[in-house]
This record gives sequence, structure tokens and C-alpha cells, in this order.
Amino acid sequence: MGKEPGAVATVGSGKRRGAIAEFLGSRWILIFLALEILFFGLKTEGFASLNSLQILLYYGVLVFLLAVAELFVVITGGIDLSVGYILGFASIVSIKIMEALKPLGLGEGATVLIGVCATLVVGLVPGLVNGWLVAYLKVPPFIATFSMLGVCHGVSELIINGVYAMGLPKLAASIGSGHFLYVAPGSGPALFSRPLVERGVEVLEVVPNIVVATAVVVAVFAFVLSRTRFGRHIYAIGGNVDAAIRAGVPVKRRVLGVYALSSFLASLAGVVYAFMYVSGKADAGASLLLDAIAAVVIGGASMFGGSGTVGRTMVGALIIAVLELGLRMSGTPTFDKYILVGVILIGAVIVERYMPAARK
Amino acid sequence: MADHIEAAGRRAGFLETRTGRALAANWAAFFLVLMFVVFSCLNPRFLSVANFQNVVHIQTLPFLLAAAETLVVITGGIDLSVGFVTGLASVGAAKLVQLQLAAGAEPGTAVGLACGAILLLSLLPGLINGLVITKFKVPPFIATMGMWGIANGLALKISTGYPMMGLPDWLTGIGNGYFVYVLPGEFVSFLGKPDWFPDSRIRELVRLLPYSLPFILAVLAILAFVLKRTRFGRHTYAIGGNVDAAIRSGVSVDRNLVAVYMISSFLSGLGGIFNVFQTGIGNYTTFNAQYEFFAVAAVVVGGASLAGGKGRIWSSAVGVLVLAFLENGLAISGVQPFYRYIAVGVLLVVAVVIDKIFPDLR
Repeated sequence: MGKEPGAVATVGSGKRRGAIAEFLGSRWILIFLALEILFFGLKTEGFASLNSLQILLYYGVLVFLLAVAELFVVITGGIDLSVGYILGFASIVSIKIMEALKPLGLGEGATVLIGVCATLVVGLVPGLVNGWLVAYLKVPPFIATFSMLGVCHGVSELIINGVYAMGLPKLAASIGSGHFLYVAPGSGPALFSRPLVERGVEVLEVVPNIVVATAVVVAVFAFVLSRTRFGRHIYAIGGNVDAAIRAGVPVKRRVLGVYALSSFLASLAGVVYAFMYVSGKADAGASLLLDAIAAVVIGGASMFGGSGTVGRTMVGALIIAVLELGLRMSGTPTFDKYILVGVILIGAVIVERYMPAARK
Repeated sequence: MADHIEAAGRRAGFLETRTGRALAANWAAFFLVLMFVVFSCLNPRFLSVANFQNVVHIQTLPFLLAAAETLVVITGGIDLSVGFVTGLASVGAAKLVQLQLAAGAEPGTAVGLACGAILLLSLLPGLINGLVITKFKVPPFIATMGMWGIANGLALKISTGYPMMGLPDWLTGIGNGYFVYVLPGEFVSFLGKPDWFPDSRIRELVRLLPYSLPFILAVLAILAFVLKRTRFGRHTYAIGGNVDAAIRSGVSVDRNLVAVYMISSFLSGLGGIFNVFQTGIGNYTTFNAQYEFFAVAAVVVGGASLAGGKGRIWSSAVGVLVLAFLENGLAISGVQPFYRYIAVGVLLVVAVVIDKIFPDLR
């Protein structure tokens, strides 16, 4: 993060102000995040603790996943408005599939595994349609994905018919609320399952399972974006589509792939939502769209495409997550969060404009 | 471009004839008529004055927001904040009325002052949007999305997350009032039902011409006039068509854009105040309402292009009617309401594909 090669070379030597602006420009989001944590740490008792860090990450995972989904699309110069409702759709589908599998008597483990895999496959469909509309029919991404938002909303409501989807297997719920590592005083550490202890004995819980899973997924997609040909092609398409075509990039297939990937990640977030909240509903992710796009933009990606990294996007998402938890813990109504996210979103773009080094 | 020509070439024939092109240019209107025919055949209750009046009355807010969005989309921008500015204006007006009533003000004055103040204040989000977009070159999508968050947060803060009650009862009498009340064979009453008429028989009354109809027609007519006949309107199209050419021909692009975003948020504020009169309470906008998305959808179905330079107020109004009657017709025919979302999605894609095949229509 903040160590893009070439960024340093753009500054004229000897201009100290330029150098400072350069330094701040490429790291301002990290500095902002640090100041934010410092502010809430001083203001709110108990904010600077392992526990609140875990809570922060636990409730942040949905935005982390959606932000990565959005990042891939934004790098191509597009936008995906449907991620929030694909999340809701997938949360319902996953529970319905697992419910349907129950009578087969496969055992909980197999039911959950098949349910998750089937949901992720179904979750590719909205993205494939989006990608087909955008890449092959040249429908503007805003319209194509907005249409998909409506379709996902409608289909979700049709499936659940006005009530929440319930009936998640217990195993899934315990994965959703469980931790990766438990340390009980006196006995050794235990993985995944809570050791039996006497009442009143504190068990140290380290890292929720879904945070571990999300970290792995985010790392994989960071690798895909920065180290694979697919990733390079996406930057090329967003940077200059004509040049990309001339360089032999299969633009249509790549764009299709990007929207499919976005919808895959959104449905993964939907599965995570179901695991966390033990229910599925159509508008589960409706309010997360702002957060996801804000994370990408605060992370320095340009809406015109060609720029943005997973690392910076995660910092953007963390800025929002810290804000939300900080406000919650200091007892301010979370309504303030929407206002502040809006202000930071606009402010981020202005900062990027006046500190050109932050671009790229 | 090559795609358009190729696509048009494949579909040559009927669509290249004059009728074909007229059909494509006004497909939304034709689709509206087609829906009328189909839904009337499916269910006789659809084709009635009462139903049509209801739909148009309920769509007052969407008409306002679609008109606002039309102006912005013509400039090649987008305003995602319209829905939440509406909610902010609604709870803001309710709050001001509540405060004045608590201070012992006369209800009529309180409502009048609150409406005036909110209408003035509702210029502010647009001013900020416009300045952020023109002075700081923030993309309209981001600037108005930021305002989306800000307005939503403020509305929730003011309302503390609950609808705001305690407003005078007569508000809904104005908001949902009709010019003519008829009890067939007995009486005709103007501007309200007779006082002696019991509420229990209210369903027998035939109500004609809601107050909201001349209101919305006047607003749309003024906006259509401004867009078509004034320099401001011509400049707005010029900015969306080719911004460089507009600058060279002396259009003060920045001032014009700021004005467009201010009109947009003013209309949203007007919608919020209408919402107070219609429901009698102050409502913040929920995420599920998606006002801004349906406004954009109506504008696109009405034939505007998100690339800018195209769009008309009356066409967007037709777009609103298409979406509204689709929902209404499906509901009356007993179809699950959720199909509406799916249908809107499909319609939008159709609108854009038609726009792609005939890039030079309108």
C-alpha cells in the first residue's frame, strides 16, 4: 500500500512542499484511518481492545466482500448496483436449498456444504446476465445492474413471500457465530469448538470463523487482481479499452467475467449473512451498497476505471467500519454514520484531486 | 457506432419505415396504450376513472422526482440524492410544524412557514451537489451518492427513526382532496364533501379531479417550457450533447449545472412537502423505497440517454405512467406485486436496447 513504483519519480526534486504532498497524498487514507482509531480510542472507553477489533471485523465482513466485488467492476469503468440485492437473494437461496436438502438425511455437514456450493453457483447467474448485457448488448452498467437489482429483489420476495427465510441448520449458525481459536485458562488452545469450562470461567475467543474465511477470500482476489493475467487485463480495459483491444485482450469475455465474479462475491456475502444472522431477507444488503462503493472510492479507485487496489479498498472499508463501531460504542445514534460516510466519500474524491500522487 | 449500424441493418425492413421509426421513438407511449388494452381485457375494474385518478394521484411524487432526474440526466449527470432529499424535506417540514405548534403557533401559519422554509432549504443540497461537481470536479454519481448518505442521516436524526406524527388533521384533506364530490342522483359538492355526509358512506361518493392533478400538470408544464423555450433549457441540452462545444459557444457551464442540481433538489423538496400533505405525517425515506432508482428508470423508459443530451419532461412523465400502470395493472389482475420489480428491470433493458438500435431518435 502506498508504495506504487513510479509514484515517487513524478515529483520534482528539491520541492519540499511537493514531497510532503506526495507523502501525504499516497498515504492519506492510512493516516486518516490511524487518526480515526486514535480519536475513538481516546474518546470511547473499551474501543482500543482485542474484543472490539474482533467485533469490528465481524460486522465488517459483508462490506469487505461487497467492496472487493465492486472494486473489480469499478476498475473496468463500470458500476454494479445489484450487489446488495444479490446478497439478499443469496441469503434466501442458501437457506431454502439447505431446508430442501434436510429431508434427504445427508447429515448437517454435507447439507451445509452442498447448500453453500449450490448457492454460489446460482449466484453466478445474475452476474452472467449483467455481464452479457454490458459486454455484448452494450447496455450501460448503471442500467443493466439496476435492472438486475430489481429482478433480484422481485425474485427474492417471490421466494420468501413476505417473511424471512428461516431454518438454517444449527451447524451453519454455529460456524457463523463461532471463533477460529479458543483459549481456556488451564487447558490448551482449541480450534473451532468452545472447550467445556466451568461457569464463570472466561474463555478467550480469537478471530471469528467468518473473518478468517473472508480474509482468505479477499487475499485470493487481491492475488487475482495484482498477479494474474486476468487482473492485468481488467486494468487494461479500464485504462484504455481501445488499446486493450489492440493488445489482444478478449474484452467482452473479461467484462463478462468481472460481472460474474462480482455477483459470485456478493452471493458469498449473502451466504455469510445467512450464517451470521440465521435468516435471509430480500433487502439484507440494500444499505450496504453505499458502504461498498464508498470503500472503493475512499480507497482511491477512479469511477472512470483503470485504478484501484484491493489493499486500499480494504483500508477504505476499515475507515467505514471503524466509524460505525466507534459511533455505536460512544452511544451516538448510528444515523450519524450515513452523514459522515457521505462527507468522507465526497471529501476523498476532492483530496485525490488535489493530491495527484494519490492517484494510480 | 458500428454496432448500431450492424444491428440496425439486421433489423432493417419494417423498423426502417416511417411507421416503424415513429413506433420506436414513442414506444413507451404505445406500450402504455397496449397495457391499457391488455389490462382492461383482463379485468374490467382496471378501466375506470377512479383507478386512473388514483394512479395519477399516487404518482405525484414520482412525477416530481422523474422531472428532476430528467433535467440532470439531460446534462449527462445523475442525481442519486433525490429520494433521500425528499425524505429529509418531509421530516424537516414535520419537525418545523411540530416545533411551532409546541410554541403555541396557529396551525395554518405554522404549516405555511414550515413549507416556505423547507422549500428554500431544499435548494441547499442541490447547491452543494452542484458546487462539488463543478468546482471540485467530483463525478455526479459520487457527489450525489454522498448527498444520499448525508440527507438520509439527517432525516433519520431529525425523525429519530420513526414517522413524525402530531400534525394538523386537515393536511391530508388538502393533499388528498378532490375538486368535485358527487353522490349519483343526490348531490354535487365542490372542494370537499358536505359536512353532514357521514364518513361511513364515503365509499359511495364519486370523487373527481384530485387537487394534485392541476398541481403536477402545472409543475411539469413549467419545467417543459423552461427546457424547451428558454436559454437555460437550450444550454442544458447543449451541455449534455457536447460540453466542449457548449463552452466554446459561450455557455457558462458551471452556473448552468449548479442551477440544474438546485432545481433537482428543489423538486425533491417539493415532493417531500407533498408527501407530508398526502400522508399527514413526516416520513423519512427507507432504503427499500428506491425513489431515485425508479426516477432514473422512468427517465430512461421515457427515452432519455444516460450519456446526456436527450430527454423530455413529458416523455419522462410517460415513463412514470408506464411503470405505475404496470404495477397497478398487475396488482388489479391479481399478480404478485413482486413481479413489478422484475418487469421494471426488463423494461429498462428494452428501453436501452431500443436506444442503441436507433441512436439518432429524438
